[in-house]
Amino acid sequence: MNEIKNTSVIDRPICLLLGALGGQGGGVLIEWLVDAAKRAGYPAQATSTPGVAQRTGATTYYFELFPEKNPAGTPIFTFFPASGDLDLMIAMEPTEAGRAIERGFVTDCTTVITATERVYSTAEKVSAGDGRIDVEPILEAIEKASKELVQLDMAALSAGTAARGNAIAFGAIVSSGILPLTAEDCRASITSKGVAVESNLAGFEIGMTANATDAQPNSQKDELIFNAAPEKFASKISDFPSSAQEIIGHGIARLIDYQNEAYAEFYLERLKSVAEADTDKSKKLTSEVARHLARWMSFEDVIRVAQLKTRPERLSRIRGELSVDDTTPLKVTDYFKPGRDEFLGALPKGLGWLVPNIEKLKLGNGLALHLPTGSAFGYAMLKFMAALKPLRSKSAQYIEEQAAIEQWLAAVIKAAATNNYLACQTANLAILARGYGQVRKTGFSKMATLFSDWAERLTNDHAGLAAEVDQMILLAHANPEET
Amino acid sequence: MDGGTAIDRVTSVGERSFTKEIQKLTLGAGEEFHGEGILAVTKALLQSGVSYVGGYPGAPMSHLIDVLADASAEILEPMGITYEQSASEAGAAALLSASIQYPMRGAVTWKSVVGTNVASDALSNLASTGVTGGSLIILGDDYGEGSSIMQERTYTFAMKSSIPLIDPRYDMERLVELTEHCFGISEASNMPVFLNMRIRACHLTGSFIAKDNKVAEFNTNAPIPEQKYDVSKIVLPPHSYLHEIAKFEKRLPAAIAYAKQHKINEIFPGKSDARIGIITQGGTYSVVMRALQRLGAADAFGNSDVPVYCMNLVYPLVTDEIVDFLSDKDSVLIVEEGNPNFIETQIAEIAHTLNIECRIHGKGMLPMAGEYVSNVVREGIAQYLAEEAPTEMSKTALDSNNEILARTSEAQSFLPGPMPARPPSFCTGCPERPIMAALKLLMKERGKFHISMDIGCNLFGSLPPFNVGNTVLGYGLSLASSGAIGPALDQPNVAIMGDGGFWHNGFTSGVVNAQWNKYDSVLVILDNGYAAATGQHKLPSTGATPRGMESMISIEGALKGVGVQWIKHVDSYSLDDTINVLREAMDARGKGLRVVISDNECMLARQRREKPAKAAALKAGQTVIQEKFGVDEEVCTGDHSCMRLSGCPSLTLKQSSDPLKETPVAHVDDSCVACGNCGEVAHAAQLCPSFYKAEAVRNAGILRQFASTINRGLLSMMGAK
Repeated sequence: MNEIKNTSVIDRPICLLLGALGGQGGGVLIEWLVDAAKRAGYPAQATSTPGVAQRTGATTYYFELFPEKNPAGTPIFTFFPASGDLDLMIAMEPTEAGRAIERGFVTDCTTVITATERVYSTAEKVSAGDGRIDVEPILEAIEKASKELVQLDMAALSAGTAARGNAIAFGAIVSSGILPLTAEDCRASITSKGVAVESNLAGFEIGMTANATDAQPNSQKDELIFNAAPEKFASKISDFPSSAQEIIGHGIARLIDYQNEAYAEFYLERLKSVAEADTDKSKKLTSEVARHLARWMSFEDVIRVAQLKTRPERLSRIRGELSVDDTTPLKVTDYFKPGRDEFLGALPKGLGWLVPNIEKLKLGNGLALHLPTGSAFGYAMLKFMAALKPLRSKSAQYIEEQAAIEQWLAAVIKAAATNNYLACQTANLAILARGYGQVRKTGFSKMATLFSDWAERLTNDHAGLAAEVDQMILLAHANPEET
Repeated sequence: MDGGTAIDRVTSVGERSFTKEIQKLTLGAGEEFHGEGILAVTKALLQSGVSYVGGYPGAPMSHLIDVLADASAEILEPMGITYEQSASEAGAAALLSASIQYPMRGAVTWKSVVGTNVASDALSNLASTGVTGGSLIILGDDYGEGSSIMQERTYTFAMKSSIPLIDPRYDMERLVELTEHCFGISEASNMPVFLNMRIRACHLTGSFIAKDNKVAEFNTNAPIPEQKYDVSKIVLPPHSYLHEIAKFEKRLPAAIAYAKQHKINEIFPGKSDARIGIITQGGTYSVVMRALQRLGAADAFGNSDVPVYCMNLVYPLVTDEIVDFLSDKDSVLIVEEGNPNFIETQIAEIAHTLNIECRIHGKGMLPMAGEYVSNVVREGIAQYLAEEAPTEMSKTALDSNNEILARTSEAQSFLPGPMPARPPSFCTGCPERPIMAALKLLMKERGKFHISMDIGCNLFGSLPPFNVGNTVLGYGLSLASSGAIGPALDQPNVAIMGDGGFWHNGFTSGVVNAQWNKYDSVLVILDNGYAAATGQHKLPSTGATPRGMESMISIEGALKGVGVQWIKHVDSYSLDDTINVLREAMDARGKGLRVVISDNECMLARQRREKPAKAAALKAGQTVIQEKFGVDEEVCTGDHSCMRLSGCPSLTLKQSSDPLKETPVAHVDDSCVACGNCGEVAHAAQLCPSFYKAEAVRNAGILRQFASTINRGLLSMMGAK
């Protein structure tokens, strides 16, 4: 028979669950906690689920601490978080906190400390549209489901330091006061572990104060930046509904950058016919077409790509990404692989015979180029390409794109006469004009087929047509490999 | 991007280095040990006076192999302990033959059940012959959350071969005691013993008071005086029949007697006089106690109202103890993780045979399958107490359980939808990723073909975004598993195999078999230098043993040795070339087995070596090239074709600031290691030209600086800032 001593009134350990992705330093954080508890004389135990989960998958660590120093008996520690007695949930990514709720571990007794920045899952990335899960409703759910939510904007908190998220989280855990650990013991743990001591101590201090100043703003939603059109366009813009003016101004600025002012005028002219057909008071159709039309009219041809790759500020932006100064030698290599279609598209229609019909240039092959854009030579080459801008309107691709735009606009305007929602959805079909090479070709042919008997179906098969358009948009945003 | 040379690999350290922690293995009597479960078990081996240790890595036992390797020169060798990381679990199990005739203690380890499957030939023979010296098999049971293998029980092996199975209670002091007792049980019963370590237990942290390490009577420094011959130890008739009889008449009863005498199993008495009780495996004891605490029937220290019989020896059962436990109870609940429920059926049989009037509950109240985590066990025990406990206890349990369920479902109700699944995938810069991209692109070109996958990181290729890989049958068995399906398909089939799989089983069962039977197959060997999935373990083709001794066996040499003619190497980061070679291999029908070897080193291993070296060089003022890939946001069309061919963690999404962009753009984050795969993919699949590679020359030499100054002058003349 076993004898068990118990002199304590504490009925269970304090329980902490850490949800992280492989490589986020969760293991080290847990080791710090175990060490700090030992220093203070509290019995504690930690476990983890390693294995293949470590390879970038979701993984969890679990820690229990008995909040009585050197108790007479041996407290029972377990390996698994449980519903209703989790005191702290630390998430290195917000959906990992969501997952802990999903699995039933977070309840009204749980304080949740979560990093707010998303790390997107493969499923979210492979969608052709926007497959991202919105983080705001998840954070709201955590707030409602838990006792308290502490948000850590790791990027903002660590800005300008070498601090890593796990050290910041460690500080936030300790300053939450839920574990009876002192900052001194924790600092000693970081120091004795001996790994990146300086930056981890800095991170710990950041975490300690981050919690005191409470909820951090969430940096996930980046602001959209609208460029303004030149002053001379002001009166023309003011003819359009006020809700569409900002995006129209941006569109004009884009097209002047892309081609010239005359091309921007052409944009406004096209848009005018849509605005006239837009009888709905929301004027959503006008702003949607304004957005799609500007994007489509600035389609990326060889000239445009050369222009974008030789933006004056591009090289210094890249230096910023590498955190190197202006004097550090920098090499930039661009990956181009124009195929036969690109060459044909860049030339006027009558000159197509100039492009040799060889295997090397056929679809899927193309001319593989590694262009040294960072060197004066490579840069000059691209500059030359970009300078061909005045010849653009003669190119075969230009002619093809404009014809497709006209076809699409006509379909939008016809639809607007029958149903504003269908017109808006038709406007959204412009998403099919995207990508390069085969991807773009497929999109164009889908639209051409749909628009071939458009007028007839608008009268005879309105419901069927609307359903088909909805379906096409849904598919355009999905993972094309699963549809 | 070349693979590391063999010499680099000799000196490289694995995923985790235990060099600091092995000092704990030298602690003497009375000193306090504090550390991980795996390390504690290793200390127990040294305290038990082992003469040899060995094993094959695999989660969750990988770290035990690492600890032993790191401790080899400093601790094992002076104590005369033989250590090897065997080429497979079968090899590790065969080491135990040392204990058949000689009074030498030894221990081996691997991942179960897969490793036990591989080792079972040796194990069956060993269990038949029986042992003289204490023989311990430490099993890392990869069952439950995060497991990478099929969910089966090791218990079956224990039963079929009559090997006592210890499933210890996870209190570190007790864990060490039980590990030491394993040798006692083994020597008392002349049987090898299984010590089953659950995945989470391997990484638990705790403390115990150490004893002195014990040097074995016979070891490499003190050899056995002479070899022994005894035909009765050979598994041949008539001895094999005598072995069978001995198992049931002598050995198992001896194990039971030892267990009784040394109180291997434990009874935790209940405070109430209710005629109820719980029987549990040692490994689930703490979960049971916590569940009782949550249901108001126990305190934080395991003082329970309900008596608990904790079986640390789960096979064979100690019948007398069970009879005692059952006889004064109206009912018991058996908490037995895994399926089939062997313990429950055996106990029910005991009760039935001996006419004990005690209701046996088990799988009727707990789930048939799956890990017995806290919530699962709490619900099962709540149901048991509700049905069988006296009124007050029953009501408290039911109320507590309902309260927990209500709070949980309220919290869950706030969630807007399911969270994204996050299966494991290739690491940033992994050289196996481009192979999967190449196969996917090749399928677009020529239609889908059948791919047999193997055990190891390569298996992630069967998950999104690649979705290539039709079957997986076992370690090193990809090529062999294509034998029947290959001829029945219109395209040659492809088998993928890591270097780990190749040496484990793939060479003999795969290559030799394919060569002999004239397979028309393509074999892709991913030679990244290590058994990478388990945590960078050394292999015959790594260039060194885990102990750092230079030793190299070439994969190509082995292939040539058995007559494989068609062998080509690829640099997997050159995607176009890789596709071309794979295409050529597919098209070379009638030329027997075609082998494509990708020999780029595991990126984790490479970074582990190069990152600190680069940082040191930078600090010392030497020239260092700092590389990163990037995406020009303005050029990116946002259809994410690149992601469907990459899956790299560093290639992610970013909200564009441009209001004209319909969808988020691609973005390369700071974790990029500049392997070049994204640029290559963009090239090979003719995607958009938004990718670029940036290389900054830090601490550049004078000439380089000069050229750069001129270049910058020219660029600024052209308008670049």
